[in-house]
Amino acid sequence: MTGEPLLRARDLVKQFPVAGTAGLLRPARLFTAVDGVSFDLHAGQTLALVGESGSGKSTTARLAARLIDVTSGTVHLEGRDITALPEKDLGEVRSTIQVVFQDPFSSLNPRHTVERIVTAPLIYQKRQIPGGSRAFAQALLERVGLDPDWVGRYPAQFSGGQAQRIGIARALAVGPRVLVCDEAVSALDVSVQAQIINLLRDLQREEGFGCLFIAHDLAVVRQIATSVAVMTAGKVVEAGERDAVFGDPQHEYTRRLLAAVPRIRPEWEAARRRKAATR
Amino acid sequence: MSLLSVRDLTVTFGDTAVVGGIGFDLPKGGSLGIVGESGSGKSMTSLAVMGLLPRGAARGGSIVFDGTDLCALTERRMRAIRGDRIAMIFQDPLSSLNPYYTVGTQIAEAYRSHRSGVSRRAARKVAVEAMERVHIKEAGRRVDDYPHQFSGGMRQRVMIAMALSTEPELIIADEPTTALDVTVQAQILDLLAEVRRDTGAALIMITHDLAVVSEVADTVVVMRHGDVVETGSTEQIFSDPQHPYTQALLDAVPRIDDEIGDLRLLSGGEA
Repeated sequence: MTGEPLLRARDLVKQFPVAGTAGLLRPARLFTAVDGVSFDLHAGQTLALVGESGSGKSTTARLAARLIDVTSGTVHLEGRDITALPEKDLGEVRSTIQVVFQDPFSSLNPRHTVERIVTAPLIYQKRQIPGGSRAFAQALLERVGLDPDWVGRYPAQFSGGQAQRIGIARALAVGPRVLVCDEAVSALDVSVQAQIINLLRDLQREEGFGCLFIAHDLAVVRQIATSVAVMTAGKVVEAGERDAVFGDPQHEYTRRLLAAVPRIRPEWEAARRRKAATR
Repeated sequence: MSLLSVRDLTVTFGDTAVVGGIGFDLPKGGSLGIVGESGSGKSMTSLAVMGLLPRGAARGGSIVFDGTDLCALTERRMRAIRGDRIAMIFQDPLSSLNPYYTVGTQIAEAYRSHRSGVSRRAARKVAVEAMERVHIKEAGRRVDDYPHQFSGGMRQRVMIAMALSTEPELIIADEPTTALDVTVQAQILDLLAEVRRDTGAALIMITHDLAVVSEVADTVVVMRHGDVVETGSTEQIFSDPQHPYTQALLDAVPRIDDEIGDLRLLSGGEA
């Protein structure tokens, strides 16, 4: 990829104090969750950060979206340094970068209607809602494959997959250039997961946003990513084009991770696909 | 003869059936995978076999284990089988372990509750041996550690050690690796296979993960909305699925070995 990246992270470090280790005159011991991570994310690209629990992949995403502050390192969004942007200026960042979380229900206010939920980002940013709140919400629902007549419903009236579509609709409301998906399909049943993966891919084709996709499921990453960065213990140990990383992994940890993924026997798969093709 | 034979099993809450009259057989030493999405009734099926259904649930049909219908047993006689000849492993080992007791005490007491007259000292020896069998290093020392001193994968090893201490003929594992990292999952699946090789125990594995089932089971039961839609050998289910739901489910599974374009969608899905 050439040209200015949408999102550029350089040498990101995040340390957290370890609870219970601080004394009267002694500072708390520090745990380094992210330890010198760099990456570029371009428009239309999906960069997957993969790793096991505790690898620092989610913390990295939160640093990149300025949901938490870095200990050191820099984040540039469309060429602008947002690392130390004061709180009052973060509104502009929020209209450029949006996040979809793992648990759709806990990230949707149960007492608000869908219309209020999906238009909230615009209202917080004190922006005009094009065409009025109702019509805007209906158009958003249609884009994520939901019935536009559901704008008056509450989150509890939806299934997990539908709720995740609402989370995606809310993220799209501001027309973001970068979408961060933090384990956005991990809690979903396999059939629903397939629908959400397809939806994200379709939306990206239409809108051209860059996607930072955080996941522990390597098979899901294979379906959606264009590039992959493998993390363990706060560091990126291998990064590259998706098929290069999956097809010819260079780092010992990547090889171990890929080898551990359970697989359906290839000969069974081939036989099934042959039969499916004749159905 | 089958070790376990389930016929017309129903689980109902009032008027609502969550398991609607299913059946399957498991031979001695065999391994059966029950797969399905959330709400398919797979976990209720395993709880029904164990006689551990939640309050308000009613069980019907028959569950014949080694010639005895478990549905006809009193709770007292069921307790003698459960945890002894039939052992369970659940998804979340932390909530299955008591944080106030050492793991050794818990394995030993579970063992003693099924072996009357065994001394504490002898039960502790059984606990250490069980922990050694699941490859917990320095088992003689770690037997005195508390659950929080173990990682997620090591806790699941402790649960397997506890399940094995009575040398069960049947192990029922409900999503045993779902909460674990993929490299830890691979270790636990290897361990389960090794244990079955050594002890000849049969296994029922309940999971949503089709790839895991394809590696572990020799027979697969596919469930949806409380019914069995298809039963077959693992090879048949994965290479030549007959039911449209099984076919659609397999089409929706993302593959690690290649990109398959748009994932095929299940018809009639609600999301």
